[in-house]
Amino acid sequence: MITGTGITKTYKQRGNVLSGREVKALRGVDFSIEKGGAVSFIGESGCGKTTLGRIIAGLETHDGGEIVIDGVPMSSLKPRKREPYFRRIQLIHQDPYSALNPTRTVHQTLAAPLALRARRTGRPGSWMDERAEELLALVGLDPGYVLPRYPHQLSGGMRQRVVIARALTVDPEMLVADEATSMIDVSLRLGILSLLKDLRERLGVSVLFITHDVATARYIGEGGDLYVIYRGQVVERGQVETIIENPVHPYTQSLLSAIPVLHGLEKPGEQPVVPTAALDESKTDDGCLFARRCPFSTDRCASEVPSLAVTGAFPQEHSCFYPERRSVVATPLEAA
Amino acid sequence: MTVETMPKAVPPVPSKTAPGVRVGGLSVVYKTSAGELPAIAGINLDLVPGTITGVVGESGSGKSTLALSLLNAVQPPGRIAAGSVEIDGLGDVVALRGEDLRKARGRHIGYVFQAAQNSLNPLKTVGKQLLDLGRSHGVSDLRALVREAKELLGRMGMDGARVLDSHQHELSGGMRQRVGIMLALVLNAHLVVLDEPTTALDMITQATILRIIREVHEERGLTTLVITHDLGVVAEVADRLAVMYGGRIVEQGPTREVLGGPRHPYTRGLLRAIPRLVGDIDEARALPGRPPTLGTVPREGCVFRERCPLRMDVCDTVEPLAIADGPRIVACHAVDAAAAKETKA
Repeated sequence: MITGTGITKTYKQRGNVLSGREVKALRGVDFSIEKGGAVSFIGESGCGKTTLGRIIAGLETHDGGEIVIDGVPMSSLKPRKREPYFRRIQLIHQDPYSALNPTRTVHQTLAAPLALRARRTGRPGSWMDERAEELLALVGLDPGYVLPRYPHQLSGGMRQRVVIARALTVDPEMLVADEATSMIDVSLRLGILSLLKDLRERLGVSVLFITHDVATARYIGEGGDLYVIYRGQVVERGQVETIIENPVHPYTQSLLSAIPVLHGLEKPGEQPVVPTAALDESKTDDGCLFARRCPFSTDRCASEVPSLAVTGAFPQEHSCFYPERRSVVATPLEAA
Repeated sequence: MTVETMPKAVPPVPSKTAPGVRVGGLSVVYKTSAGELPAIAGINLDLVPGTITGVVGESGSGKSTLALSLLNAVQPPGRIAAGSVEIDGLGDVVALRGEDLRKARGRHIGYVFQAAQNSLNPLKTVGKQLLDLGRSHGVSDLRALVREAKELLGRMGMDGARVLDSHQHELSGGMRQRVGIMLALVLNAHLVVLDEPTTALDMITQATILRIIREVHEERGLTTLVITHDLGVVAEVADRLAVMYGGRIVEQGPTREVLGGPRHPYTRGLLRAIPRLVGDIDEARALPGRPPTLGTVPREGCVFRERCPLRMDVCDTVEPLAIADGPRIVACHAVDAAAAKETKA
């Protein structure tokens, strides 16, 4: 339903021509999300995954490349004409505390977009209330309890469900969930994740899940694609299960190695990969962007730019000159 | 890296060893419009000298209140209503007041605040803040303090001189967290409390910080308390684990044993609610209901009963006692009943 080719985005930091520094948030990213599909972006903060999510949701412009929604290239349309396309894609923020207007009840929050919709489609006013109740029930809330309340009277998990219900008022074809559970209590996270999974299965809504937590990406994006993003570039891409079981890019491997091991339940992977240096955005790199931190880099990595492709016997795309399987993920202990 | 290797100009630091901490019957209440409500009640927790204890809980579980109590730093409208916090070499911290209390903090107890909450002064360089810290604690040899700070920062993989010359905004989240650890340790405290040490940090940075916490803990011979909402963090660093819910410790024991065979229904539910990287993805189950807040914690009976699959009649009226079984301590009627049946059989 939406594809992007060669998406680039550069932020200019304040300053004059001489002192202004450019930050390359995205360096030519290709992506494709099918109708009803699930795609996850993972990477560290600052890798560009949020920027890409916002571009996909139409909240941010890109500098280069083309986005095509349902076969229509967005560059061929005037900004105003793009609106109905991007309305099909709704963003769910990380922070349900700031995503809702604190001075509006849940009823008011949902009524505003529904009223607009009722007017456009010539539906009666009573439809609004019915639909609001329907949507709240769909996201697992009790409409009678929630509708008259203000955001501060709800828990974080309930608020995030209200945010999702609000996104659904426009009947979107795709939800972009940006770290949608990271601010929610641990025992409630899975509820939100399974809700998104459920919406995908029941309503056929595509879900783009943006996170730094690979395990939640696996949960929600079962069978879908995983994009590993590093410094504005996709470094590994393929089916989520394939990449978790057999990651071949050293960056993916170091991400997976960094996941805490539940000692007592699991034993750590045998070949953990630890980056040799910390991330330093100020350094410019000629070759592979990860070469400076990569424990396996060679002279070639420092000078030559690898491209994202399928090579060797590995099913996924990756951008490493020396792809290799390494056992980095923890495995469950045998039940005692 | 330790005292022995430092130049002679350094005044002899009183040789200290990792202190033990015994929290007994600790209750903290907060004054609200609905009267005084308990944030934590009847907490019993021993920190064994030289170990890392992890306290894990969701928001509102009282874990941060417990951490602040170790410094006797609960702020109004909260107050410590009952109980004691005995720290070796300090006595009962709850009884300390004024100047004695101020000196104990920093010298004996180091506290590392969340990196995300900017605990550093944005207007001053790290070095200036270090000197402030030294002066306020009457350190006579500030040069030695700076040297010690540089060494600690170097130990954590940073360029000490550069960091001391930096303002907060020039440091990344992971670097700030390491500065926080340095400030907590530089006065040679041997009891260290880390509050959510890796929240808002990236996976790779988190792994680095956790490794540093473990290494520094061992090298300096500390007693460490880590407060977190993330079971994974506790699993990585802690020797012992205490699980908090609704202001109570519902289960505690050696980390591996608790994770390998959780007994309290909350611990079990929590573990099952975390999606894992391997194994059957459909085994993950959400915990029904939601955690209680200060106002909604039940006044009597078990605090977890509303969400509990093993709820019995007795849970509504009688608060379960924390019962020890070897190193494991669990507060649950259902677990007790099962254990009683087993001994009978």
